[in-house]
Amino acid sequence: MNFDLSEDQHTIKRTAREFLASRYKPEEVRRLALEDERGWTDAQWAEMAELGWPQLVHPEHGLGTVELVVVAEELGYALAPTPLQSTWMAGLALAAGGQSARLEGRRGALAVWPGDAPGEWIAVPDAGTADVLVLRDPGGGASVTEDFSVEPAPGIDPTRRLFTVRASGGEPLEGDLSRAWDQILVMSAAESVGVGERAMHMAVAYAKERKQFGRAIGSFQAVSHPCAQMLLEVEGARSAVYWAAWALDFEPETGPLAAACAKAYASDAGARVTRSAMQVHGGIAFTWEHDLHFLLKRAEANAHALGEARSLRARVAALTL
Amino acid sequence: MANVLGLAMGGPTVIAHGTDAQKERHLAPILSAEEIWCQGFSEPDSGSDLASLKTRAVRDGDEWVVTGQKVWTTMAHQSKWCMLIARTDPEAPKHRGLTYFLMDMEQDAVEVRPLVQITGEAEFNELFIEEARIPHANIVGGENNGWPVAITTLMHERAGLAFALQVQVQIALRELMAEVRERGQAEDPIVRDRLGQLYIEAQVLRLNAFRGLTATMKRGAPGPEGSLGKWHWAEVNQALTELAMDVAGPHAQLVDQTWTYRFLRARANSIEGGTTEILKNIVAERVLGLPRG
Repeated sequence: MNFDLSEDQHTIKRTAREFLASRYKPEEVRRLALEDERGWTDAQWAEMAELGWPQLVHPEHGLGTVELVVVAEELGYALAPTPLQSTWMAGLALAAGGQSARLEGRRGALAVWPGDAPGEWIAVPDAGTADVLVLRDPGGGASVTEDFSVEPAPGIDPTRRLFTVRASGGEPLEGDLSRAWDQILVMSAAESVGVGERAMHMAVAYAKERKQFGRAIGSFQAVSHPCAQMLLEVEGARSAVYWAAWALDFEPETGPLAAACAKAYASDAGARVTRSAMQVHGGIAFTWEHDLHFLLKRAEANAHALGEARSLRARVAALTL
Repeated sequence: MANVLGLAMGGPTVIAHGTDAQKERHLAPILSAEEIWCQGFSEPDSGSDLASLKTRAVRDGDEWVVTGQKVWTTMAHQSKWCMLIARTDPEAPKHRGLTYFLMDMEQDAVEVRPLVQITGEAEFNELFIEEARIPHANIVGGENNGWPVAITTLMHERAGLAFALQVQVQIALRELMAEVRERGQAEDPIVRDRLGQLYIEAQVLRLNAFRGLTATMKRGAPGPEGSLGKWHWAEVNQALTELAMDVAGPHAQLVDQTWTYRFLRARANSIEGGTTEILKNIVAERVLGLPRG
């Protein structure tokens, strides 16, 4: 029995963390989020394309869900502003529908939430720079289109651009997409694990260095116990995410349940850990110039994207009760 | 599992710190449950601050003479051996003057009195020790070196028991789901939300336990992160029994052998084997590296 990543998976994780840390230093994330018009650069995308990352979900050169989740977690840790995850999400749905070729060398986006007007979709990440759009309908089916219009819709998280999309329908994706939707849930959950871990690392480092009453604030239990709670939630979320990723590839009958568990737990954990990390920092983290609010906003946005914890707990109850 | 303390804690401690003679003498009877073990750590004035304990051991030739009082001693009335920590150097700083002994419980100098708990039963005992005798050869890990040996026992307690107890949580959760259906509450959205959350937490508990086991196998010994599992287990088990009380409604006022008993018993979960507050200290200091308070 081995409940750890394999050597190869550890290598992927380490390589991704090093690469992303060097390309997305905090000042670069801030610049992209607040100053860059698109929120990412051609050079950054070209470099990821060279690494083959956009193709990771392609059935022919693709890796398993666990490997995908390893990279998704690191993208969250780095808080990398990139349309990569949106391209993956569209790619997973297209792969399940046998339409992978449509995304070859291009960028995708996934629309999940219908707006009030027919043909309108709200809060669609990265749609403004996508070539191919997958429209998920509330019944669980989906269609694909390249004919759509976008309007920027400022989101709480400036590291990920959102758009209102209008499309008059598209070509239906055939086949069972349910596994793809679950992979997408787990990918988002993995990102929240990385975001939470980064916030925890920042909080712990700050608690060691910040002094009040003549001592490091981390020596007070009112501060150290919330930090311990962060570890409980980050590690718990990571366990659930890797279980779900593994199940989707190797124990498909457990996949839907595990994916719901992972996204529900990681949504809550990401939101709680980043809020708690802000409390540990005190006033400094409430300032625009501090970086913690980017993490808090990403975690909060993730908790409300794709499926909220409450509805996923309802799915867990429906599958088990 | 009558010898759970011997299997999960005593045996691993002897393997890690014992002499060859101690391994030869003790491991087989632990495995066969011919000799039951108990743990003499806590005292009336030394709970979370274990290293302040006052039970004294004084050398007398080839033996040590022990006097003091221990509390919360599970299985003491059935035990042959007690993992006993006593103060052997009162002049040394509190962590450095302790020695870890294996005390034979079958002597008149050790009196075992049952301790009745809030459920009305007596799982635990008090030990009154009045000049008990322990051979020098029964020291584990060396004279005045008892603290690291005690930590080994506690790490195994938290990692090992948390592993076994998470299995009980899975079973209890299934029983609670059956209870919810029987009482016609399976469509109640609040009950469903709480059950969904409990199911997820129970899975996380299970998965963390497996990850902990993998880490223990790679490293050879459980680390401080086992504290996390024990703390999380206490939270989940308490939440589970609290939901069961809510599901039972007015029946929750009545004594029974399942849910009201389990609810009351679970109140100890966040206290026994290291309070949740102490476990958070361990995680904060030893896993996260935060400064000591």
